[in-house]
Amino acid sequence: MSRRTAISCLLLAILLAGLAAPAAARTRPRYGGTLRIETVGDPWQLPSGIARRLVLDGLTTLDAAGNVRPALATDWQSENAGHRWIFRLRPGVRFHDGSPLTTIAVVASLNASCPSDCPWTSLRASGAAVVFSSDAPMPNLPALLAGDEFLIALTLSSEGKTPTAATGTGPFQVTGFSNGVLSLSANDTCWQGRPFVDTLEIRTRRALSDQRLDLVAGRADVIEVPAEDARQARQQHLLLLASPPVQLLALEIADSGPLANPNLRAAIALAVDRSALANVIFQKEGQVAASLLPQSLSGYAFLFAPERDLARAQQLRGGITPPSLPFRVEGDGALQLAGQRIALNLREAGFPTQLNSAASHPDLVLRILPIEFPAPAATLEQLFRRNDHPDPVEDNPAAEYKAERGFLDRKTVVPLLHLPRVYALSPRVRDLALHADGSLDLANASLEASP
Amino acid sequence: MRLLRLLLTPAIRMPSSLRLLAPILALFLCAVAASANSPWDQPASALADQIASILGPGQARLTLRNLSSVSPDDLAAVRRILEQDLRTHGITPSGDEAANQLRVTLSENSRQRLWVAEIVEGNETRVAMIALDRPASSAVQAASGITLHKQFLFTATQPVLAALEVPDGLIVLQPEQIVLYTRAPAGFTPLTVFPIRQKRPLARDPRGLLVSTANGEAFEAHLPGVACEGINAAPGAAGQWTVHCHDSDDPWPIAAPNLMQLGSAPAPALKAFYNAGRDHYTGIVAPSLGVDLPAFYTAAWFARAQTPALLVNSLDGKLQLAGNATLTPIGGARDWGSDFASLQSACGNGTQIVASSSGAAAQDSLRAYEIPALEAIPISPPLAMDGSVTALWTASGGRSLFATIRTEPPAGQPVLYEVDRVSANCN
Repeated sequence: MSRRTAISCLLLAILLAGLAAPAAARTRPRYGGTLRIETVGDPWQLPSGIARRLVLDGLTTLDAAGNVRPALATDWQSENAGHRWIFRLRPGVRFHDGSPLTTIAVVASLNASCPSDCPWTSLRASGAAVVFSSDAPMPNLPALLAGDEFLIALTLSSEGKTPTAATGTGPFQVTGFSNGVLSLSANDTCWQGRPFVDTLEIRTRRALSDQRLDLVAGRADVIEVPAEDARQARQQHLLLLASPPVQLLALEIADSGPLANPNLRAAIALAVDRSALANVIFQKEGQVAASLLPQSLSGYAFLFAPERDLARAQQLRGGITPPSLPFRVEGDGALQLAGQRIALNLREAGFPTQLNSAASHPDLVLRILPIEFPAPAATLEQLFRRNDHPDPVEDNPAAEYKAERGFLDRKTVVPLLHLPRVYALSPRVRDLALHADGSLDLANASLEASP
Repeated sequence: MRLLRLLLTPAIRMPSSLRLLAPILALFLCAVAASANSPWDQPASALADQIASILGPGQARLTLRNLSSVSPDDLAAVRRILEQDLRTHGITPSGDEAANQLRVTLSENSRQRLWVAEIVEGNETRVAMIALDRPASSAVQAASGITLHKQFLFTATQPVLAALEVPDGLIVLQPEQIVLYTRAPAGFTPLTVFPIRQKRPLARDPRGLLVSTANGEAFEAHLPGVACEGINAAPGAAGQWTVHCHDSDDPWPIAAPNLMQLGSAPAPALKAFYNAGRDHYTGIVAPSLGVDLPAFYTAAWFARAQTPALLVNSLDGKLQLAGNATLTPIGGARDWGSDFASLQSACGNGTQIVASSSGAAAQDSLRAYEIPALEAIPISPPLAMDGSVTALWTASGGRSLFATIRTEPPAGQPVLYEVDRVSANCN
């Protein structure tokens, strides 16, 4: 038998053996394995740091429809027209170090995460409940407490020491950090159930180009894909997971100094060419926006017109030529390109700018704001609070529209694009879904068995 | 409608003057009757009220656009109703000559529909807005061949692990509670909730099992690490159940004697130990089948030449049949998902295995199979389900199945778990 014939026979035998073998059915999620994730950012950064929701839980959580659901609190009630809220804790929950979740621990955590400018003015433990009080009504407090900012972390261990690593009640616990890799292991006694994978390895501050190489080489299971690269990744047949629009690219304008005049700020808003940003820089992966909330979330975004009107911008400027405006861009890659494009637009409208990523007191800032909640009122309230306008927003579309219109009319925040969050996955990742804010639901993901 | 019937009776009985007016009156009354049932009446009226309070009487150029899931057919009806309502407020929708513009947009977000009116008077634009509930999506039916049929029973917001028919309704097992549903004209409605109060953490892929006594007056529920017993203190009276739960590592009765007949004999009682930490059966069963079973996710009795055999899917996805003290690999399960259950019917050899599909798509299907030799042979076309099958179990008596379907809602809508009864018809 020639060598070629022998190889052919061997291949045929393998093929027939494969056909004869019983085909395997699809199985339930498999327990075990190590899931490797790479991120360009800090895993603990606020908001949306990837490790925060893996290790920490909130008093409440939000479902996909924006409804508030119990988490570490099982129920809550408001008194005195929303000026006072009482949250009762879930019994039997323990932190990763074994110490019990108590109202005192919750109060200490919230005081540490929000030392000032909180949605509440006072906070105290009362038996099995945590009581929030405020001079102003807090209609969205249950939803706000689901946010990344207010996740509960242990501040003092049972021995009275400060924990060396973030310690929460979430599905994973921190086991180490070395060479830029944060290691987390499954919390076997998690109140929501043990996650399927045994460990997570989060490689932090990894450049996007390196992430792509690691995925292709089989060294990573989940990587980040910037929205502007999603089209190319699709063409390369990468397995992608994309969220609805959950990020807002916005230009923030200082309302003091050379742009204290609201007409100048309105002129800047009219000068920006959003379509060019969407079509050229973000490769049609973003939606042109003139509202804080995307249409899918508010239903009224079409009422905000994203038109560019250079003539009107120049008219509003009224011959005033401000000095060169310091312009900071918070981000790399496409954000830097977007900053340069906006600087050109502004120059056309008579506003000279000076791009400077290190500017400490810039007049203009280009950044991505997360749309953290699937609940319009809570999202607006949080965005307002970040811009020093802590006004409560009623939970109904007419009130939300009025509040958003009032805020945007100040022209201190100019919405430009709504962007999705996109990830690429290795084929061995199963059942990985996204939370409503576009973050990864890694606790419910599992890995295919090794062949 | 009595007047309508009178008008539609043979004209010969009517006076001549009424005879001339009858067709016009009949058309008018039909139009009124049709519009009276429209779901758009109330929102159109509410929006017209708001518009009128801003605009006041006069002419306005009305434009209507649709950014929502309202169908084009309904759009015409909405426009007609809105125009009628505006006229009752003294606002006349007119052509281009009107100074005021009225731009109405039918929109929606993830939670609700929004109807928005932009009222443009000169350079000023004011906005009126009303919110209305989005309707639930309708179910789709499909079946042919040896035909599987499904019948909707109820939906729940929490996963349904198992359900059991009892004389006064349904006992439903969920991860944290047992719920008694009663029959109502509109379907099953929850009547009593019995919290389970588990001490151990819940599983992320929760499983559970319910078995009843022969007379349906008591049941056993099994969840990872917990067992419950329910007793009906007053059989025949709804809601007289008492339920007691306790920690338990006892084996689960994966096939109870009253569950189904296999040929002329009931299926043998079999209990299997469950690994509560990993959500699967360990493979240890009592009484022994004379062969070592692998750890498995699902098991179902199957009649083979009048001899019962146990079909199991092991953790690696392989399908195996345990019977006559041997373990035999079964092929043809490439399209199978994780869930299957036995079904007794008057079709084929009398016992079929109904399996969920293996697709990763949002929509699962169920399909009936027979296993005459070493291969599972499909004997029905797939029955499309309205989501992914998360649990499938044989109903008491074995003549039908229950399936829990996790519905994939539109973006922003909460997940619902739909419970359907599945049965087979022979062709």
